[in-house]
Amino acid sequence: MTLTREKTLADRIRSDFPILHQKVNGKPLVYLDNAATSQKPLLVLNTLRDYYEQYNSNVHRGVHTLSAKATDAYEAARDKVAAFINAASRQEIVFTRNASEAINLVAYSWGSSLQTGDEIILSVMEHHSNLIPWQLLAQRTGAVLKFVELTAEQEFDLEHFKSLISDKTKLVATVHVSNTLGCISPVKEIAAIAHEHGAKVLIDACQSVPHMPIDVQQIDCDWLVASGHKMCAPTGIGFLYGKLDILRSMSPFLGGGEMIADVFLDHATYADLPHKFEAGTPAIAEAIALGAAVDYLSAIGMDNIYAYEAELTAYLWEQLGQISEIQTYGPQPKVAGLGRAALAAFTAGDVHPHDLSTILDQAGVAIRAGHHCTQPLHRHLGIQSTARASLSFYNTRQEIDVFIAALKEAIEFFGSIFS
Amino acid sequence: MTTAIMALSNVRDLYQQVILEHYKKPRHKGKTNPVHRQQRGHNPSCGDTIELTLKLNDAGDTIEDVKFEGEGCAIAMASADLMADVLRGKQVTEALSMVQRFQNMMKGEDEFPKELRKLNVMQGVSQFPVRIKCANLTWHTLKAALESTHDLANTGFVSNEDT
Ligand SMILES: Cc1ncc(COP(=O)(O)O)c(C=O)c1O
Repeated sequence: MTLTREKTLADRIRSDFPILHQKVNGKPLVYLDNAATSQKPLLVLNTLRDYYEQYNSNVHRGVHTLSAKATDAYEAARDKVAAFINAASRQEIVFTRNASEAINLVAYSWGSSLQTGDEIILSVMEHHSNLIPWQLLAQRTGAVLKFVELTAEQEFDLEHFKSLISDKTKLVATVHVSNTLGCISPVKEIAAIAHEHGAKVLIDACQSVPHMPIDVQQIDCDWLVASGHKMCAPTGIGFLYGKLDILRSMSPFLGGGEMIADVFLDHATYADLPHKFEAGTPAIAEAIALGAAVDYLSAIGMDNIYAYEAELTAYLWEQLGQISEIQTYGPQPKVAGLGRAALAAFTAGDVHPHDLSTILDQAGVAIRAGHHCTQPLHRHLGIQSTARASLSFYNTRQEIDVFIAALKEAIEFFGSIFS
Repeated sequence: MTTAIMALSNVRDLYQQVILEHYKKPRHKGKTNPVHRQQRGHNPSCGDTIELTLKLNDAGDTIEDVKFEGEGCAIAMASADLMADVLRGKQVTEALSMVQRFQNMMKGEDEFPKELRKLNVMQGVSQFPVRIKCANLTWHTLKAALESTHDLANTGFVSNEDT
Protein backbone atom coordinates (compact mmCIF):
# COMPACT_ATOMS: atom_id res chain seq x y z
CA MET A 1 0.00 0.00 0.00
CA THR A 2 1.39 3.36 -0.87
CA LEU A 3 0.25 6.41 0.93
CA THR A 4 0.48 9.66 -0.86
CA ARG A 5 1.13 12.15 1.81
CA GLU A 6 0.46 15.80 1.45
CA LYS A 7 3.66 17.81 1.62
CA THR A 8 4.11 19.34 5.03
CA LEU A 9 5.51 22.75 5.77
CA ALA A 10 8.82 21.15 6.73
CA ASP A 11 8.95 19.14 3.50
CA ARG A 12 8.67 22.36 1.55
CA ILE A 13 11.29 24.43 3.35
CA ARG A 14 13.90 21.99 4.72
CA SER A 15 16.13 22.51 1.73
CA ASP A 16 16.49 26.15 2.82
CA PHE A 17 18.58 24.97 5.78
CA PRO A 18 21.92 23.55 4.62
CA ILE A 19 23.02 22.57 8.12
CA LEU A 20 20.18 20.09 8.52
CA HIS A 21 21.51 17.92 5.72
CA GLN A 22 24.47 16.31 7.41
CA LYS A 23 25.37 13.25 9.42
CA VAL A 24 26.38 13.44 13.06
CA ASN A 25 28.11 10.37 14.50
CA GLY A 26 27.24 8.59 11.29
CA LYS A 27 23.50 9.27 11.56
CA PRO A 28 21.38 11.93 9.88
CA LEU A 29 21.22 14.96 12.14
CA VAL A 30 17.96 15.41 14.02
CA TYR A 31 18.20 18.88 15.51
CA LEU A 32 15.85 19.21 18.48
CA ASP A 33 17.57 22.01 20.38
CA ASN A 34 15.74 24.90 18.79
CA ALA A 35 14.86 26.59 22.05
CA ALA A 36 18.59 27.11 22.61
CA THR A 37 19.13 28.47 19.13
CA SER A 38 17.52 28.01 15.74
CA GLN A 39 19.20 27.12 12.49
CA LYS A 40 19.58 29.71 9.73
CA PRO A 41 18.07 29.59 6.24
CA LEU A 42 20.04 30.37 3.10
CA LEU A 43 18.32 33.71 2.77
CA VAL A 44 19.90 34.81 6.04
CA LEU A 45 23.30 33.33 5.21
CA ASN A 46 23.30 35.00 1.81
CA THR A 47 22.30 38.31 3.34
CA LEU A 48 25.35 38.19 5.59
CA ARG A 49 27.57 37.32 2.69
CA ASP A 50 26.12 39.98 0.39
CA TYR A 51 26.63 42.61 3.04
CA TYR A 52 30.31 41.79 3.47
CA GLU A 53 30.95 41.22 -0.24
CA GLN A 54 29.05 44.20 -1.55
CA TYR A 55 28.38 47.03 0.89
CA ASN A 56 30.20 46.55 4.19
CA SER A 57 30.43 50.02 5.63
CA ASN A 58 29.69 51.86 8.85
CA VAL A 59 26.19 53.19 9.36
CA HIS A 60 25.02 56.74 10.04
CA ARG A 61 28.54 58.04 9.54
CA GLY A 62 29.44 58.38 5.93
CA VAL A 63 28.03 60.18 2.96
CA HIS A 64 29.59 57.78 0.53
CA THR A 65 27.53 55.28 -1.42
CA LEU A 66 28.35 52.15 0.55
CA SER A 67 27.67 53.80 3.86
CA ALA A 68 24.33 55.05 2.60
CA LYS A 69 23.47 51.57 1.41
CA ALA A 70 24.45 49.96 4.70
CA THR A 71 22.49 52.58 6.64
CA ASP A 72 19.40 52.03 4.49
CA ALA A 73 19.57 48.27 4.93
CA TYR A 74 20.16 48.58 8.68
CA GLU A 75 17.20 50.90 9.11
CA ALA A 76 15.05 48.79 6.79
CA ALA A 77 15.68 45.87 9.13
CA ARG A 78 14.27 47.98 11.95
CA ASP A 79 11.12 48.61 9.87
CA LYS A 80 10.78 44.88 9.29
CA VAL A 81 11.05 44.03 12.97
CA ALA A 82 8.60 46.81 13.84
CA ALA A 83 6.07 45.48 11.35
CA PHE A 84 6.66 41.87 12.44
CA ILE A 85 5.49 42.56 16.00
CA ASN A 86 3.12 45.37 14.98
CA ALA A 87 4.91 48.17 16.81
CA ALA A 88 3.21 51.55 16.37
CA SER A 89 6.47 53.19 15.35
CA ARG A 90 9.86 52.15 14.03
CA GLN A 91 11.40 54.29 16.77
CA GLU A 92 10.13 51.77 19.29
CA ILE A 93 12.63 49.14 18.12
CA VAL A 94 16.10 49.27 19.69
CA PHE A 95 18.67 46.80 18.42
CA THR A 96 20.60 45.03 21.17
CA ARG A 97 23.00 42.09 21.23
CA ASN A 98 20.33 39.73 22.52
CA ALA A 99 17.34 39.55 24.83
CA SER A 100 19.55 39.58 27.90
CA GLU A 101 21.06 42.92 26.92
CA ALA A 102 17.60 44.32 26.22
CA ILE A 103 16.43 43.36 29.72
CA ASN A 104 19.57 44.82 31.29
CA LEU A 105 18.98 48.03 29.34
CA VAL A 106 15.55 48.41 30.94
CA ALA A 107 16.80 47.35 34.38
CA TYR A 108 19.52 50.02 34.34
CA SER A 109 17.90 52.82 32.48
CA TRP A 110 14.34 52.65 33.73
CA GLY A 111 15.04 50.64 36.87
CA SER A 112 17.41 53.11 38.47
CA SER A 113 14.49 55.32 39.47
CA LEU A 114 13.06 52.60 41.73
CA GLN A 115 13.16 53.08 45.47
CA THR A 116 13.34 50.97 48.59
CA GLY A 117 10.14 49.01 49.03
CA ASP A 118 9.02 49.25 45.39
CA GLU A 119 7.99 45.83 44.17
CA ILE A 120 8.81 43.86 41.04
CA ILE A 121 6.76 40.79 40.18
CA LEU A 122 8.39 37.97 38.22
CA SER A 123 7.43 34.31 37.95
CA VAL A 124 9.26 31.28 39.30
CA MET A 125 9.81 30.04 35.74
CA GLU A 126 11.89 32.99 34.50
CA HIS A 127 15.01 32.35 32.47
CA HIS A 128 18.07 33.62 34.38
CA SER A 129 18.15 36.46 31.84
CA ASN A 130 14.88 37.78 33.22
CA LEU A 131 15.86 37.20 36.83
CA ILE A 132 19.46 38.25 37.49
CA PRO A 133 19.09 41.82 36.09
CA TRP A 134 16.20 42.35 38.54
CA GLN A 135 18.14 40.81 41.42
CA LEU A 136 20.95 43.26 40.68
CA LEU A 137 18.45 46.11 40.48
CA ALA A 138 16.89 45.06 43.79
CA GLN A 139 20.35 45.09 45.38
CA ARG A 140 21.04 48.57 44.00
CA THR A 141 17.73 50.17 44.89
CA GLY A 142 16.21 48.19 47.75
CA ALA A 143 13.32 47.12 45.53
CA VAL A 144 11.66 43.82 46.47
CA LEU A 145 11.16 40.85 44.14
CA LYS A 146 7.97 38.76 44.30
CA PHE A 147 7.33 35.56 42.41
CA VAL A 148 4.19 34.22 40.79
CA GLU A 149 3.89 30.47 41.26
CA LEU A 150 2.47 27.81 38.99
CA THR A 151 -0.96 26.25 38.70
CA ALA A 152 -1.42 22.50 39.08
CA GLU A 153 -0.99 22.25 35.28
CA GLN A 154 2.36 24.07 35.66
CA GLU A 155 1.31 27.30 34.03
CA PHE A 156 1.42 30.94 35.13
CA ASP A 157 -0.98 31.22 38.08
CA LEU A 158 -3.07 34.29 37.30
CA GLU A 159 -4.92 34.08 40.62
CA HIS A 160 -1.68 34.04 42.56
CA PHE A 161 -0.49 36.97 40.46
CA LYS A 162 -3.63 38.92 41.41
CA SER A 163 -2.91 38.26 45.06
CA LEU A 164 0.65 39.60 44.73
CA ILE A 165 0.00 42.77 42.81
CA SER A 166 -0.61 46.02 44.66
CA ASP A 167 0.03 49.68 44.26
CA LYS A 168 3.57 49.03 45.43
CA THR A 169 4.17 47.01 42.27
CA LYS A 170 6.20 49.04 39.80
CA LEU A 171 7.01 46.34 37.29
CA VAL A 172 5.77 42.96 36.14
CA ALA A 173 8.41 41.16 34.08
CA THR A 174 7.54 37.72 32.84
CA VAL A 175 8.18 35.14 30.20
CA HIS A 176 5.63 34.74 27.40
CA VAL A 177 6.44 31.12 26.58
CA SER A 178 8.53 29.22 29.11
CA ASN A 179 11.65 27.67 27.60
CA THR A 180 11.29 24.76 30.01
CA LEU A 181 7.58 24.20 30.67
CA GLY A 182 6.44 25.35 27.25
CA CYS A 183 3.36 26.99 28.77
CA ILE A 184 1.99 30.15 27.17
CA SER A 185 1.29 32.86 29.70
CA PRO A 186 -1.80 35.11 29.40
CA VAL A 187 0.28 38.21 28.75
CA LYS A 188 -2.64 40.38 27.65
CA GLU A 189 -4.48 39.79 30.94
CA ILE A 190 -1.25 40.19 32.90
CA ALA A 191 -0.60 43.55 31.22
CA ALA A 192 -4.16 44.77 31.82
CA ILE A 193 -4.02 43.87 35.52
CA ALA A 194 -0.56 45.41 35.92
CA HIS A 195 -1.68 48.65 34.29
CA GLU A 196 -4.70 48.88 36.60
CA HIS A 197 -2.17 49.13 39.40
CA GLY A 198 0.07 51.56 37.58
CA ALA A 199 2.82 48.98 37.06
CA LYS A 200 4.87 48.62 33.89
CA VAL A 201 5.07 45.33 32.00
CA LEU A 202 8.05 43.68 30.34
CA ILE A 203 7.52 40.51 28.30
CA ASP A 204 10.35 38.07 27.60
CA ALA A 205 9.23 36.88 24.19
CA CYS A 206 12.34 34.85 23.28
CA GLN A 207 10.34 31.66 22.85
CA SER A 208 7.17 33.17 21.42
CA VAL A 209 8.35 35.55 18.68
CA PRO A 210 9.93 32.68 16.66
CA HIS A 211 6.85 30.47 16.87
CA MET A 212 3.62 32.50 16.80
CA PRO A 213 2.23 35.83 15.61
CA ILE A 214 3.01 38.60 18.11
CA ASP A 215 1.21 41.93 18.30
CA VAL A 216 2.67 44.25 20.91
CA GLN A 217 -0.22 46.69 20.62
CA GLN A 218 -2.70 43.95 21.29
CA ILE A 219 -0.72 42.65 24.28
CA ASP A 220 -0.29 46.27 25.36
CA CYS A 221 3.04 45.57 27.06
CA ASP A 222 5.45 48.41 27.82
CA TRP A 223 8.52 46.48 26.74
CA LEU A 224 9.07 43.23 24.89
CA VAL A 225 12.41 41.55 24.23
CA ALA A 226 13.63 38.79 21.91
CA SER A 227 16.86 37.33 20.55
CA GLY A 228 17.50 37.08 16.82
CA HIS A 229 19.40 33.80 17.05
CA LYS A 230 16.28 31.93 18.15
CA MET A 231 14.32 33.21 15.15
CA CYS A 232 16.53 32.19 12.23
CA ALA A 233 18.84 35.22 12.49
CA PRO A 234 22.53 35.23 13.48
CA THR A 235 23.83 35.50 17.02
CA GLY A 236 24.80 38.96 18.26
CA ILE A 237 21.52 40.66 17.45
CA GLY A 238 18.29 41.02 19.38
CA PHE A 239 15.84 43.76 20.07
CA LEU A 240 14.00 45.74 22.67
CA TYR A 241 10.53 46.98 21.86
CA GLY A 242 9.38 49.81 24.11
CA LYS A 243 6.43 52.18 23.98
CA LEU A 244 7.59 55.45 22.54
CA ASP A 245 6.79 57.71 25.49
CA ILE A 246 8.39 55.29 27.92
CA LEU A 247 11.60 54.94 25.89
CA ARG A 248 11.67 58.75 25.60
CA SER A 249 11.51 59.14 29.35
CA MET A 250 14.40 56.73 29.93
CA SER A 251 17.98 57.96 30.14
CA PRO A 252 20.68 56.32 28.00
CA PHE A 253 22.11 52.95 28.99
CA LEU A 254 25.51 52.88 27.30
CA GLY A 255 27.34 55.95 26.11
CA GLY A 256 29.40 56.37 22.97
CA GLY A 257 29.23 57.30 19.35
CA GLU A 258 25.97 56.95 17.43
CA MET A 259 23.78 57.80 20.44
CA ILE A 260 24.57 61.50 20.61
CA ALA A 261 23.20 64.69 19.09
CA ASP A 262 25.68 67.33 20.19
CA VAL A 263 28.83 66.69 22.19
CA PHE A 264 30.88 69.11 24.27
CA LEU A 265 33.77 68.28 26.52
CA ASP A 266 31.70 68.33 29.67
CA HIS A 267 28.27 67.30 28.47
CA ALA A 268 26.27 66.06 25.54
CA THR A 269 22.78 65.91 24.19
CA TYR A 270 21.45 62.64 22.97
CA ALA A 271 20.14 61.42 19.68
CA ASP A 272 16.45 60.80 19.24
CA LEU A 273 15.01 57.33 19.53
CA PRO A 274 15.98 54.67 18.86
CA HIS A 275 19.61 55.77 18.42
CA LYS A 276 19.78 57.06 21.98
CA PHE A 277 20.05 53.44 23.04
CA GLU A 278 22.44 52.22 20.35
CA ALA A 279 25.89 53.36 21.43
CA GLY A 280 28.82 52.50 19.21
CA THR A 281 28.97 50.71 15.89
CA PRO A 282 26.12 48.21 15.98
CA ALA A 283 26.03 44.63 14.69
CA ILE A 284 25.21 45.87 11.21
CA ALA A 285 25.37 42.66 9.21
CA GLU A 286 23.52 40.78 11.93
CA ALA A 287 20.76 43.39 12.10
CA ILE A 288 20.30 43.31 8.34
CA ALA A 289 20.25 39.51 8.51
CA LEU A 290 17.61 39.70 11.25
CA GLY A 291 15.57 41.70 8.77
CA ALA A 292 16.04 38.87 6.27
CA ALA A 293 14.99 36.31 8.90
CA VAL A 294 11.82 38.31 9.50
CA ASP A 295 11.18 38.34 5.75
CA TYR A 296 11.70 34.59 5.66
CA LEU A 297 9.37 33.86 8.57
CA SER A 298 6.76 36.27 7.26
CA ALA A 299 6.80 34.66 3.83
CA ILE A 300 5.98 31.31 5.44
CA GLY A 301 3.49 33.02 7.72
CA MET A 302 3.58 32.90 11.51
CA ASP A 303 0.07 31.45 11.57
CA ASN A 304 1.25 28.57 9.40
CA ILE A 305 4.29 28.04 11.58
CA TYR A 306 2.17 27.98 14.72
CA ALA A 307 -0.33 25.56 13.19
CA TYR A 308 2.33 23.19 11.88
CA GLU A 309 4.27 23.22 15.14
CA ALA A 310 1.03 22.44 17.00
CA GLU A 311 0.68 19.30 14.86
CA LEU A 312 4.21 18.31 15.80
CA THR A 313 3.46 19.07 19.45
CA ALA A 314 0.46 16.75 19.45
CA TYR A 315 2.52 13.99 17.87
CA LEU A 316 5.52 14.49 20.16
CA TRP A 317 3.41 14.35 23.31
CA GLU A 318 1.43 11.39 22.07
CA GLN A 319 4.66 9.49 21.44
CA LEU A 320 6.28 10.49 24.74
CA GLY A 321 3.08 9.51 26.54
CA GLN A 322 3.59 5.95 25.42
CA ILE A 323 6.88 5.51 27.22
CA SER A 324 6.13 4.66 30.83
CA GLU A 325 9.51 5.86 32.17
CA ILE A 326 9.03 9.35 30.78
CA GLN A 327 7.79 12.15 32.98
CA THR A 328 7.04 15.39 31.16
CA TYR A 329 6.81 18.88 32.63
CA GLY A 330 4.49 21.74 31.78
CA PRO A 331 0.91 21.58 30.57
CA GLN A 332 -0.43 18.84 28.32
CA PRO A 333 -1.23 20.11 24.84
CA LYS A 334 -4.88 20.91 24.25
CA VAL A 335 -6.87 19.70 21.25
CA ALA A 336 -4.75 19.51 18.08
CA GLY A 337 -1.55 20.25 19.98
CA LEU A 338 -2.58 23.82 20.72
CA GLY A 339 -2.07 25.77 23.91
CA ARG A 340 1.60 25.08 24.52
CA ALA A 341 4.95 25.36 22.79
CA ALA A 342 6.46 22.64 20.60
CA LEU A 343 8.96 21.49 23.19
CA ALA A 344 9.07 18.91 25.93
CA ALA A 345 11.19 18.94 29.06
CA PHE A 346 11.26 15.51 30.62
CA THR A 347 13.03 13.01 32.80
CA ALA A 348 13.51 9.39 31.80
CA GLY A 349 13.49 7.17 34.85
CA ASP A 350 16.97 5.93 35.76
CA VAL A 351 18.66 7.64 32.85
CA HIS A 352 20.11 10.97 33.90
CA PRO A 353 19.47 13.77 31.35
CA HIS A 354 23.19 14.20 30.59
CA ASP A 355 23.63 10.53 29.92
CA LEU A 356 20.52 10.57 27.78
CA SER A 357 21.83 13.49 25.77
CA THR A 358 25.16 11.74 25.14
CA ILE A 359 23.42 8.55 24.07
CA LEU A 360 20.98 10.38 21.78
CA ASP A 361 23.89 12.27 20.26
CA GLN A 362 25.23 8.90 19.14
CA ALA A 363 21.96 8.51 17.24
CA GLY A 364 22.46 11.93 15.62
CA VAL A 365 19.76 13.48 17.82
CA ALA A 366 20.62 16.84 19.40
CA ILE A 367 18.69 17.63 22.58
CA ARG A 368 19.56 19.73 25.60
CA ALA A 369 20.17 18.44 29.10
CA GLY A 370 20.54 20.47 32.27
CA HIS A 371 18.62 23.27 33.90
CA HIS A 372 18.14 25.31 30.70
CA CYS A 373 18.95 28.52 32.60
CA THR A 374 15.86 28.04 34.76
CA GLN A 375 17.53 26.73 37.90
CA PRO A 376 14.99 28.20 40.34
CA LEU A 377 12.18 26.57 38.36
CA HIS A 378 13.90 23.19 38.53
CA ARG A 379 14.36 23.66 42.26
CA HIS A 380 10.70 24.62 42.53
CA LEU A 381 9.77 21.40 40.74
CA GLY A 382 12.10 19.43 42.99
CA ILE A 383 14.35 18.23 40.19
CA GLN A 384 17.96 18.92 39.43
CA SER A 385 17.85 18.76 35.68
CA THR A 386 15.73 17.72 32.74
CA ALA A 387 16.23 16.70 29.16
CA ARG A 388 14.53 18.93 26.60
CA ALA A 389 13.55 18.34 23.01
CA SER A 390 12.50 21.59 21.34
CA LEU A 391 11.08 21.73 17.85
CA SER A 392 10.89 24.15 15.00
CA PHE A 393 8.88 24.35 11.80
CA TYR A 394 11.61 22.52 9.86
CA ASN A 395 11.32 19.42 12.04
CA THR A 396 9.31 16.45 10.84
CA ARG A 397 7.28 13.59 12.27
CA GLN A 398 9.94 11.25 10.97
CA GLU A 399 12.50 13.06 13.10
CA ILE A 400 10.25 12.66 16.13
CA ASP A 401 10.13 8.94 15.32
CA VAL A 402 13.94 8.75 15.28
CA PHE A 403 14.11 10.64 18.56
CA ILE A 404 11.53 8.40 20.22
CA ALA A 405 13.20 5.21 18.98
CA ALA A 406 16.58 6.39 20.27
CA LEU A 407 15.00 7.39 23.56
CA LYS A 408 13.52 3.92 23.97
CA GLU A 409 16.85 2.34 23.18
CA ALA A 410 18.62 4.50 25.73
CA ILE A 411 16.12 3.60 28.42
CA GLU A 412 16.42 -0.05 27.50
CA PHE A 413 20.22 0.12 27.53
CA PHE A 414 20.31 1.55 31.02
CA GLY A 415 17.46 -0.65 32.17
CA SER A 416 19.01 -3.89 30.97
CA ILE A 417 21.99 -3.39 33.25
CA PHE A 418 19.86 -3.31 36.34
CA SER A 419 17.11 -5.79 35.75
CA MET B 1 11.58 0.49 13.86
CA THR B 2 13.64 -2.58 14.68
CA THR B 3 17.16 -1.70 13.64
CA ALA B 4 19.46 -0.22 16.21
CA ILE B 5 19.25 3.50 15.93
CA MET B 6 22.58 4.35 17.45
CA ALA B 7 26.12 3.22 17.37
CA LEU B 8 25.72 1.23 20.57
CA SER B 9 29.35 0.18 20.54
CA ASN B 10 30.42 3.76 21.27
CA VAL B 11 27.86 4.01 23.99
CA ARG B 12 29.11 0.74 25.49
CA ASP B 13 32.68 2.03 25.51
CA LEU B 14 31.56 4.96 27.57
CA TYR B 15 29.06 3.27 29.82
CA GLN B 16 30.93 0.15 30.73
CA GLN B 17 29.12 -2.33 32.92
CA VAL B 18 31.32 -1.42 35.89
CA ILE B 19 30.47 2.25 35.57
CA LEU B 20 26.77 1.55 35.47
CA GLU B 21 27.03 -0.72 38.48
CA HIS B 22 28.78 1.94 40.52
CA TYR B 23 26.13 4.43 39.41
CA LYS B 24 23.21 2.24 40.33
CA LYS B 25 24.62 0.59 43.44
CA PRO B 26 27.16 2.97 44.94
CA ARG B 27 29.08 1.58 47.90
CA HIS B 28 30.34 4.83 49.34
CA LYS B 29 27.32 7.06 49.58
CA GLY B 30 26.84 8.96 52.79
CA LYS B 31 29.07 10.77 55.27
CA THR B 32 32.19 9.56 57.02
CA ASN B 33 32.25 9.27 60.79
CA PRO B 34 33.90 11.37 61.96
CA VAL B 35 34.23 14.05 59.32
CA HIS B 36 37.74 15.46 59.09
CA ARG B 37 37.37 17.13 55.74
CA GLN B 38 34.25 18.21 53.95
CA GLN B 39 34.02 19.81 50.54
CA ARG B 40 31.28 20.53 48.05
CA GLY B 41 31.92 20.82 44.34
CA HIS B 42 29.74 21.51 41.33
CA ASN B 43 29.60 21.95 37.61
CA PRO B 44 27.55 25.15 37.44
CA SER B 45 26.60 24.87 33.79
CA CYS B 46 24.97 21.47 34.17
CA GLY B 47 23.99 21.54 37.82
CA ASP B 48 25.83 18.42 38.97
CA THR B 49 26.81 18.66 42.62
CA ILE B 50 28.86 16.51 44.93
CA GLU B 51 29.74 16.60 48.60
CA LEU B 52 32.76 14.68 49.77
CA THR B 53 33.56 13.84 53.38
CA LEU B 54 36.89 12.37 54.46
CA LYS B 55 38.11 10.59 57.54
CA LEU B 56 41.86 10.83 58.11
CA ASN B 57 44.22 9.05 60.48
CA ASP B 58 45.44 10.74 63.66
CA ALA B 59 48.46 12.23 61.95
CA GLY B 60 46.19 13.64 59.26
CA ASP B 61 48.39 12.33 56.44
CA THR B 62 46.44 9.23 55.41
CA ILE B 63 42.89 8.80 54.15
CA GLU B 64 40.92 6.23 56.11
CA ASP B 65 37.53 6.68 54.51
CA VAL B 66 35.82 8.71 51.81
CA LYS B 67 32.10 9.10 51.27
CA PHE B 68 30.08 11.17 48.84
CA GLU B 69 26.67 12.59 48.39
CA GLY B 70 25.36 14.40 45.39
CA GLU B 71 23.29 14.44 42.30
CA GLY B 72 24.51 13.98 38.83
CA CYS B 73 24.84 11.79 35.80
CA ALA B 74 26.09 8.21 35.71
CA ILE B 75 29.60 9.33 34.82
CA ALA B 76 29.88 11.81 37.72
CA MET B 77 28.40 9.48 40.30
CA ALA B 78 30.30 6.38 39.20
CA SER B 79 33.53 8.36 39.14
CA ALA B 80 32.94 9.43 42.75
CA ASP B 81 32.18 5.91 43.91
CA LEU B 82 35.21 4.47 42.14
CA MET B 83 37.40 7.16 43.59
CA ALA B 84 36.17 6.47 47.10
CA ASP B 85 36.87 2.79 46.52
CA VAL B 86 40.53 3.28 45.73
CA LEU B 87 41.37 6.05 48.19
CA ARG B 88 41.11 4.11 51.41
CA GLY B 89 44.51 3.80 53.02
CA LYS B 90 46.17 6.19 50.57
CA GLN B 91 48.45 8.92 51.78
CA VAL B 92 47.30 12.47 51.16
CA THR B 93 50.29 13.15 48.91
CA GLU B 94 49.59 10.00 46.95
CA ALA B 95 45.94 10.99 46.55
CA LEU B 96 46.95 14.38 45.20
CA SER B 97 49.14 12.82 42.56
CA MET B 98 46.25 10.52 41.63
CA VAL B 99 44.15 13.62 41.00
CA GLN B 100 46.76 14.78 38.52
CA ARG B 101 46.97 11.38 36.89
CA PHE B 102 43.21 11.11 36.57
CA GLN B 103 43.00 14.51 34.92
CA ASN B 104 45.76 13.50 32.52
CA MET B 105 43.94 10.26 31.78
CA MET B 106 40.91 12.31 30.76
CA LYS B 107 43.14 14.01 28.22
CA GLY B 108 44.11 10.58 26.96
CA GLU B 109 47.68 11.11 28.17
CA ASP B 110 48.03 8.68 31.03
CA GLU B 111 46.55 5.67 32.78
CA PHE B 112 46.79 4.05 36.18
CA PRO B 113 49.22 1.23 36.99
CA LYS B 114 48.08 -2.28 37.76
CA GLU B 115 47.18 -1.81 41.43
CA LEU B 116 44.85 1.06 40.55
CA ARG B 117 43.68 -0.24 37.19
CA LYS B 118 40.04 -0.28 38.18
CA LEU B 119 40.11 3.48 37.62
CA ASN B 120 41.01 2.86 34.00
CA VAL B 121 37.40 2.01 33.17
CA MET B 122 36.88 5.76 33.06
CA GLN B 123 39.27 6.03 30.10
CA GLY B 124 36.39 5.83 27.62
CA VAL B 125 35.23 9.25 28.82
CA SER B 126 38.24 10.85 27.15
CA GLN B 127 36.56 10.09 23.82
CA PHE B 128 33.60 12.28 24.85
CA PRO B 129 35.17 15.69 25.51
CA VAL B 130 31.97 17.32 26.77
CA ARG B 131 31.66 14.66 29.46
CA ILE B 132 35.18 14.92 30.87
CA LYS B 133 34.11 17.49 33.42
CA CYS B 134 31.54 14.99 34.73
CA ALA B 135 34.26 12.45 35.49
CA ASN B 136 36.63 15.08 36.86
CA LEU B 137 34.17 16.68 39.28
CA THR B 138 34.84 14.32 42.17
CA TRP B 139 38.63 14.47 41.75
CA HIS B 140 38.60 18.23 41.54
CA THR B 141 36.55 18.36 44.72
CA LEU B 142 38.90 15.92 46.43
CA LYS B 143 41.84 18.15 45.63
CA ALA B 144 40.10 21.13 47.23
CA ALA B 145 39.22 19.02 50.27
CA LEU B 146 42.80 17.88 50.75
CA GLU B 147 44.33 21.28 50.14
CA SER B 148 42.03 23.19 52.46
CA THR B 149 44.12 24.06 55.47
CA HIS B 150 41.37 24.28 58.04
CA ASP B 151 39.81 21.16 59.41
CA LEU B 152 36.19 20.29 58.93
CA ALA B 153 33.54 22.06 57.07
CA ASN B 154 34.29 24.13 54.07
CA THR B 155 30.85 25.36 53.22
CA GLY B 156 31.44 26.90 49.80
CA PHE B 157 31.39 25.08 46.48
CA VAL B 158 34.45 24.62 44.36
CA SER B 159 33.62 24.94 40.72
CA ASN B 160 35.04 22.34 38.38
CA GLU B 161 34.52 24.71 35.46
CA ASP B 162 36.78 27.63 36.33
CA THR B 163 40.05 26.97 34.63
C1 LIG C 1 12.80 32.43 27.69
C2 LIG C 1 14.18 32.95 27.44
N1 LIG C 1 14.54 34.15 27.89
C3 LIG C 1 15.75 34.67 27.67
C4 LIG C 1 16.71 33.96 26.97
C5 LIG C 1 18.05 34.59 26.79
O1 LIG C 1 18.38 34.78 25.49
P1 LIG C 1 19.84 35.33 25.12
O2 LIG C 1 20.80 34.41 25.79
O3 LIG C 1 19.88 35.25 23.65
O4 LIG C 1 19.92 36.71 25.65
C6 LIG C 1 16.38 32.70 26.48
C7 LIG C 1 17.35 31.88 25.72
O5 LIG C 1 18.29 31.32 26.16
C8 LIG C 1 15.10 32.18 26.73
O6 LIG C 1 14.75 30.96 26.30
